[in-house]
Amino acid sequence: MSAERWKEDEGLLERLRKGAPGAVDELLRQYQGKIFNLAMSILKNESDAEEAAQDVFMTVIRKVDTFKGNSAFYSWMYRICVNTCLMRLRGKRRNDTVAIEEFMPVFTEDGMHASPMDDWSKEVERKALNEELGMMIRKFTEELSEKYRVVFVLSDIEGLSNEETAKVLGMTVPAVKSRLHRARLYLREQLSRYLKEGKVE
Amino acid sequence: MNCKELAYLLADYFDGSMDPRMRAELDGHMAMCEPCMNFAKTYRMTCRKASELRKCIEYKIPDEVRERLASFLVAATEKFPEQMEEYHLQVERERREKVLAFCRAAIEAKLSSMAALLVESHCANCRECKEYFDSVLKTRGLNGPHPEEIQEHVTRLMESLPPDEEFFLA
Repeated sequence: MSAERWKEDEGLLERLRKGAPGAVDELLRQYQGKIFNLAMSILKNESDAEEAAQDVFMTVIRKVDTFKGNSAFYSWMYRICVNTCLMRLRGKRRNDTVAIEEFMPVFTEDGMHASPMDDWSKEVERKALNEELGMMIRKFTEELSEKYRVVFVLSDIEGLSNEETAKVLGMTVPAVKSRLHRARLYLREQLSRYLKEGKVE
Repeated sequence: MNCKELAYLLADYFDGSMDPRMRAELDGHMAMCEPCMNFAKTYRMTCRKASELRKCIEYKIPDEVRERLASFLVAATEKFPEQMEEYHLQVERERREKVLAFCRAAIEAKLSSMAALLVESHCANCRECKEYFDSVLKTRGLNGPHPEEIQEHVTRLMESLPPDEEFFLA
């Protein structure tokens, strides 16, 4: 996060605290996309994500006075968003996720790769992320259970550092790292299988 | 180091947090092991494509959701001052009730020793409060609402009690 961005957030915070006209509009303009997307990636359902986003912004507006500047504004908002979404998920049936274990690399007894390994990195690197591959990554990510999904979305897609993700989720850094690694191993395997089927030209 | 161990060290290897000796160890293994080299390359590419996704999904939010969100928040924040006022009134009501209870306890000599001491020392310095407490003690009854000043003083007295400590005798 750049210093400039931080300054902008400071200004916005101050205006929100004072209830300045247009402050809410500005908050929405800057963050509704991010918050809605984060909510979507956790809840995977547009109407749930919309309701969650409403709750998140209400909470932010109400609690802006209690926000202490010791963490970045956006990470505070992410935290509110993740909490709101996880509360919504609680009690809901969640059987539409895959078992991550089935996508972990397989090794022989003496710790060697059990199957041959293709290198598809060059093939994928050459072109910018096309729509199809992007959609597949989203789809595979959505199939992860939220335990891994939230960490992966915050760290690798949103680009938060492991420390920031740990703060947002109230987890330790090693726990974040281990979940993140497993999520990446899963996605790597999913992409391998998908590319092997030759759907990307 | 075997392939399995290597696979579980890749995150540190790529985020730069691995110490150079360990790094050399991994490099050495990969130079000799094609599956691991390929595994590492595709692992890194997976991370890279995920972060590219951030730039190109650019937070699409359906227009109608955007509109509903804005109008919901505008409506909610307009109602917000009313709710705050309601809250302040509630706090004020509770404060009055508490002051009343305090004065009643004073009349019935049911104040805790600490609270009684506070009242005594305050009244020694405050003519209004002394007159007020003297008069209610004489008539042994509370006549109507307390003057605003007494309210304030009694509230402050109660606030100087330690938190969670009741002002009346058990």
